[in-house]
Amino acid sequence: MKSTEDVNRVMEAYADMVRRICFVHLKNRHDTEDVFQNVYMKYLLYESTFESAEHEKAWFVRVTINACTDWLRALSRRKWVPLDVLAEESTELDHSSKEVLEAVLKLPEKYRDVIYLFYYEGYTAVEIARILGKKENTIYTWLSRAKDILREKLGGDWS
Amino acid sequence: MSSAQNRIQKSMENIQSTETMKQNTLRYLEAQRTGQSRVVFWQKPNAALRYAMAVVCIFLLAGTGGYSVYCSPVSYISIDVNPSIELAVNRFDRVVSATGYNADAQDVLQHVPLKNISYMQALDRLLQDAYYSRYLNRDSQLVVTVVSDHSDAMLEQIHANDSFQALDALTYSSDTACMKEAHQHEMSFGKYRAFLELSQYDADITVEDCHGMSMGEIQSRIKTCQGHNRKNAADGDSDKGHHSGHSSTHGHH
Repeated sequence: MKSTEDVNRVMEAYADMVRRICFVHLKNRHDTEDVFQNVYMKYLLYESTFESAEHEKAWFVRVTINACTDWLRALSRRKWVPLDVLAEESTELDHSSKEVLEAVLKLPEKYRDVIYLFYYEGYTAVEIARILGKKENTIYTWLSRAKDILREKLGGDWS
Repeated sequence: MSSAQNRIQKSMENIQSTETMKQNTLRYLEAQRTGQSRVVFWQKPNAALRYAMAVVCIFLLAGTGGYSVYCSPVSYISIDVNPSIELAVNRFDRVVSATGYNADAQDVLQHVPLKNISYMQALDRLLQDAYYSRYLNRDSQLVVTVVSDHSDAMLEQIHANDSFQALDALTYSSDTACMKEAHQHEMSFGKYRAFLELSQYDADITVEDCHGMSMGEIQSRIKTCQGHNRKNAADGDSDKGHHSGHSSTHGHH
């Protein structure tokens, strides 16, 4: 079991990232809080040590995506309107941010992950493939399709 | 930095964890840390050593035959919601193995240790566990299926359990032939029994279809089919599905 110091450290380091991954997957803030706790619970019980800070961060990305997927599956594969979650955040967002997030949340789930990891976290397609356990070509395809959709909706340069 | 990257970064910057979220989680983890010390006991080396010594004592007292008797399951319990978990129970009513038949179940078993305690304690621990409870929502259906020479006595005990009573659960008994067949399909025998029941009404349903369905979904389809059949019977157009499988099942709702 991880020490309190370790938990406090990773809370400071990854809380925002975990929250953002939850945001692109989950229905509302209540679900996010539950999954957020589950992710840190998994960390608390994680017995192995991480090889590096990158390894630790990639573990958090993977575990959070899995936890979100499991959570949604547990909710009887209920379909949800992604924009519900946006409504909860709307007071803190300007028009442009809202427009971008709305377009991202309307993407299919797998595209949301790659867009977030590529554009926000700065991972390369090769790294994303390793984290998500997918083939590199799959990630390139997902990125390309996601960019096409975003370009169509938002315009601008999505190269 | 491309304009796309700029736009994503700028919008995502607004999404942040709140201090309340962090503090609540830290409090939750601290509570789990103190509450789960018993769980970790089994994972610490010195505890494992003590456990090994206890096993050695059993060997010395009862001979090697004693341990093999301890490890031999005589009854099986399948606990299905969406996670499908099977417990193998020895003649002393203790759980000697716990198997997850889907990813959710394997995940649950990593969080909730169920081995080497009585099956009633295991069921109680599972149903009260916060991690498992998230599967027990309004749309889900808990189904407990037992394979045992004394299944009626076991089901009676399960029905008397407070945690179990609080849920609108279904219980069934099945047999080893059905269990063997279920395992050939890499499915828990509880879910397989439900598949066999559904296949009586719906000839098109396959085991593969059921693999991807929760118990709530299977039970709901069974109910729909039963309602449909009853309507047909009432109309004088009874069309009974064939009784497939060999599991002598009976409900104890």
